[in-house]
Amino acid sequence: MVGPIASLSQLNRADGSASYKCPATGYSILGAVNAPIELPARRDALKPEEATVEVFVKPGTTTAGVGERYAEGILRSALGKIVLGREKGFPRRGLVITLTIVGGENVERGDSYLTILPALLHAALLAMVSASVPLSMTFSATLLGVTKSGDIVRDPSPTAAKAAVSLHAFAFSSKNHLLLNESVGRFEFDTWELVRERALSICQGATTSTDGDVTMGEGTASASLNGFIRETVEDQIYSDYAYKLDSI
Amino acid sequence: MASTTTPSNPTPPSLSLPPSQFARLQPHAYLLAHLSPPPASNQPSIRANGRAASQFRVTSANAGSLTHTNGSAVVRIGDTAAVCGVRAEILHTKDIASWSVLQASSEQNFDKSNEAGVSESQDEEDKGHIQDLNLLVPNLSLSTGCAPGFTPGAPPSALAQSLSHQILSLLHTTRLVKADDLRIWYQPPNLDSEEFRNAGEGMDVDTEESGGPEREVKAFWVLYIDVMIISLAGNPFDAAWASVLAALRDTKLPKAWWDADNETILCSDDVADVQRLSLRGLPVSSSFCSFEGDIAAGWRAVVIPDAEEQKQKKGAQQRWILADPDGYEEGLSQERVSVVVDRENGKTVIVKMEKHGGWTVDSDDLRHLVDVSAERWDEMKRILDQC
Repeated sequence: MVGPIASLSQLNRADGSASYKCPATGYSILGAVNAPIELPARRDALKPEEATVEVFVKPGTTTAGVGERYAEGILRSALGKIVLGREKGFPRRGLVITLTIVGGENVERGDSYLTILPALLHAALLAMVSASVPLSMTFSATLLGVTKSGDIVRDPSPTAAKAAVSLHAFAFSSKNHLLLNESVGRFEFDTWELVRERALSICQGATTSTDGDVTMGEGTASASLNGFIRETVEDQIYSDYAYKLDSI
Repeated sequence: MASTTTPSNPTPPSLSLPPSQFARLQPHAYLLAHLSPPPASNQPSIRANGRAASQFRVTSANAGSLTHTNGSAVVRIGDTAAVCGVRAEILHTKDIASWSVLQASSEQNFDKSNEAGVSESQDEEDKGHIQDLNLLVPNLSLSTGCAPGFTPGAPPSALAQSLSHQILSLLHTTRLVKADDLRIWYQPPNLDSEEFRNAGEGMDVDTEESGGPEREVKAFWVLYIDVMIISLAGNPFDAAWASVLAALRDTKLPKAWWDADNETILCSDDVADVQRLSLRGLPVSSSFCSFEGDIAAGWRAVVIPDAEEQKQKKGAQQRWILADPDGYEEGLSQERVSVVVDRENGKTVIVKMEKHGGWTVDSDDLRHLVDVSAERWDEMKRILDQC
């Protein structure tokens, strides 16, 4: 299976940016983060003691609609929880995350937004790391589909996602907490637990799982999504500090 | 508990606050004090609104409240009230730009479907038609004054928009409405049949039917589902979804047919001819929030324990999962869980489950919440059946 492709700090004028492409689902996201910035007319912010997280999702071909509002709400609550919004310089300021869907199938009106959520979450996380936003932990997210025959498919393509009985998006923190779960379709709780187990092993690698059967396909920890996030950031740091390495 | 008297001051002036003021000044401490009363007081752990942790508010539903709609309902969950009206309008197939293409592709599907199960492909086609042609158009408005902070003349808030999307998306994924109920057919008269010939030829029924022209879809009913939250005191989605459900159960569509002479759709005004929608299942939504006891959690330089450590610490109960949160509780918690369940042949099926905004709820809690939602399903079914 082809892993995702990501790179950091592509945009010059944003404080931080990242592009993320998932070949399996076809989604390609460009994310930009500006933080901390002064928000206009935010004197009466609900929580003045911490940063206000704003998320904007722009679809590739149309203007943002109600579906995007919904995705923004979910991203805001998921990301707002891991951002350390009380660090120096952040209270009363804003953290603005803009995510543009530059590639992949359009999410149509009334479609569930969950197929694209993992890509959006990854792009947002990498962009925040690129902007040096203080975070309490990192996370990784994955999309799983359950087919009619009961097989669990990782990162189903848009057509496979339409045919699936149930779809599940999971995000696990770097410390194995379940940060986000979105599931639609028809399923039972036992199925969900199997899917969760599988999602955890995809995100964290084989290290944490006790069940040998589930983790077979995913291989070593370096193939995990958390490892992928870490490697992407390491690569960026390596190239950023190349001048220091050269001078040694 | 609210007084901050010093021992040196024998007669404290009115430094003690009535509970309502304490609730406003120290909302977190107020709710926490209710949920974890001192062991000496022998009081049970109860929420500030007097409910137990997994207790829902009193729910009432009334269907058919609006006369100008095809179906309507008012659902009240505690102080949150939602009015839903369903209005059906006719969409002619000749007004659908891509109709001929859609029809051709659906016929292909029919050919394929004969091999796989017919009912499944019927489901698929239903979903396709309803979704592609936008036959269901829900909209939710949080009206002015439903809660402080909703000012007149403002554009729909992000909350209202995302609730509209959630309703639409849930209508699509549950396939609640059958596309067949929304089709208006035209059966062309069989000009070759024996009525027009001399009757003595003795054609049998089978050949007569296969020889006749095929009936075709001339129009669709489009259901405009408008939800208005007239009072918002937390948990708007459960109330809105319950009102949509009750209104759709109440919806009656007049008998409609294509009149070939006038080349238009005619509707019967006879009440005896109306047809109710036949819905697939009864998905009931239940929402929860997780209240974290540690008020300082947000202030510390956060070192969050591993998930495993957290599990072991659970004996101390750092957080409470509150069912059907009211506005006060929603303001104090960030983590939300929403479970939509249906029951099929006595088995509980999860239709949608989402949780976001925190990390304290995991699979054990979710399993419990699914059980709570299943109990809520029974209660809601009883309420909706009575209305």
